[in-house]
Amino acid sequence: MTALATDTAPAARRLGAIARQRRRVAVLTLAGLALLAAAILAGICLGENILTPGRALNALFLGTGDRGEVLLVGRFRTPRVLSAVIAGAGLAVAGAVLQRVARNPLASPDVVGITGGASLGATAAVALGLAAPLTPLAALGGGLCAATILGLLAVQLDGSHASPRLKGGINPTRLVLVGLAVQAGLTAAVNLFIVRFPAELASSALHWTTGSLYGRNWNETIVGAIATTAALTAAFALHRRAAVLDLGDDAAGALGVRPGTARLQLLAAAVVLASLAVALTGPVGFVALAVPHLVRRLAGPPTAGTLALNALAGALLLLTADLVAQHALPLDGLPVGVVTATLGAPFLLALLARQNRPDPRTVR
Amino acid sequence: MTNAPNAITAAGLRIGYGRNTIVTDLDLTLPGGRVTAIVGPNACGKSTLLRGLARLIAPETGTVTIDGDDVHRMSARALARRLGLLPQQPTAPEGISVEALVRLGRYPHQRTLRPWSPADTAAVENALARTGTAALRDLPVDHLSGGQRQRAWIALALAQDTPLLLLDEPTTFLDLRHQIDVLDLVSELNATADRTVVMVLHDLGQAARYADHLVVMRDGAPAATGAPADVLTAELVEDVFGVPCRVVPDPETGTPLVVPRASARHRRS
Repeated sequence: MTALATDTAPAARRLGAIARQRRRVAVLTLAGLALLAAAILAGICLGENILTPGRALNALFLGTGDRGEVLLVGRFRTPRVLSAVIAGAGLAVAGAVLQRVARNPLASPDVVGITGGASLGATAAVALGLAAPLTPLAALGGGLCAATILGLLAVQLDGSHASPRLKGGINPTRLVLVGLAVQAGLTAAVNLFIVRFPAELASSALHWTTGSLYGRNWNETIVGAIATTAALTAAFALHRRAAVLDLGDDAAGALGVRPGTARLQLLAAAVVLASLAVALTGPVGFVALAVPHLVRRLAGPPTAGTLALNALAGALLLLTADLVAQHALPLDGLPVGVVTATLGAPFLLALLARQNRPDPRTVR
Repeated sequence: MTNAPNAITAAGLRIGYGRNTIVTDLDLTLPGGRVTAIVGPNACGKSTLLRGLARLIAPETGTVTIDGDDVHRMSARALARRLGLLPQQPTAPEGISVEALVRLGRYPHQRTLRPWSPADTAAVENALARTGTAALRDLPVDHLSGGQRQRAWIALALAQDTPLLLLDEPTTFLDLRHQIDVLDLVSELNATADRTVVMVLHDLGQAARYADHLVVMRDGAPAATGAPADVLTAELVEDVFGVPCRVVPDPETGTPLVVPRASARHRRS
């Protein structure tokens, strides 16, 4: 009788760790959704011409009201807000996946060269005088090329060390080191373009490479939304595989996950997400690096729920940063990338400082 | 003995890392439904053999079969439903709770559209109960003691619910109490579910006491295989480990107990 009571009572009396985390994630998700809704509303109401939420929503969904307002909300503000949401979600999930696969808290698309490749693609497109709608495509191509180069280099260098455990896979540390080199080279190439090309093209390219949501149109936004949703779905579908991969290659292999293949699938999802985001906004830093850390701190170890929280927090952060850049600072037309980079630099330093402190638990 | 189900057989197996061949042309059958211990000096290829049997490393030549089915022809998941492996000193992801860790053992049984079933819950609860980790379920794995952590990992392998279970040095870094707990658990798992258990051990006395079948490895090949009482002789131990010794019956079980010969300084006068 007493044995029975002690066996069943704890489960009923208090929530287990898994249930507790689920509840926490649910609360954070609801809070995040509320904040995101508020930020979206602010995004379509605020501007030189401030609208009340009622008027803005009427103009957007019903097309009623002043023609100018309908145009302003429908053609300019909404695509910009949606672009921020899509790109922010994509960047944050890309960062979360990369950090997890690389087992390195510093891995993010802007550190390992994916952002650099996308920037180079876009800059090249601008410099070659391609039509504006092709710029995002060029960015996507550039990001994928950079990732392929990165993958080949990382695997190649691995092979020379004949490390059998990683046959067909990618060594996490090497990935980051090679990525840093790739990113540095690509940044140099982008700068070369900007310096060497005619002034009007150079300034356009420069504007793009700082990361900006200015002048997003519906076509770009819809294409970005569909592609990002597909890539996000893939990232979520791969989530359980990633969780098993966290146990180490041997344990994962014994559970039926081929580590090399799973890593490549996860990396591919991250690369596509990051490239799409860069294609939409230019290389906005900080979001992919910081959001996963923030989410982990708030919501605990990674689960499918925290991955969704990453998407939500990324969208919220990028959208808020854009609102701040547009409205809260006295500088006109400040690109959102400048805001996120200003926040990002001290954050990165703090992270490095924490990393350098020896923590016996993180030593593998 | 070899006709019992869940026997694992290696034929002409050669495994190496690059040019460095670790396991050389090995032919071995590990009996189904029994406990096999693999012993041998450091770096003799014990872990490599285990990893080769579990298909974690591709052999250069040779085959591994479970009841005649080639493991290299199975899908990764299908193999993971028949054979589980506990690696040497596995590392748990930071912050993960014991229950969350054990749940990952159900991965090979889950499908995309049916992520979690009552059978999964039952297997996890059973694994937690049998390893005595149910009370620890909500604790982060990185806060546990070595013995508790090892039991949590064994629970993961149990939740995987495979008829074949390979354990790579499950007792290393555990104190005597926890070593015996783990070994008793292993022999109970074998007895109650007719599981085939293969484990790498260092302690020859424990290997002789807990295993039905012993494989003594030397330089990537078995130096001797068979029942511990037949295999563990003073000549063999000296030959393989380079340690002169006496083999006496274990006063508790009668299984062979290896007692290294003392140097003159320590000898009883």
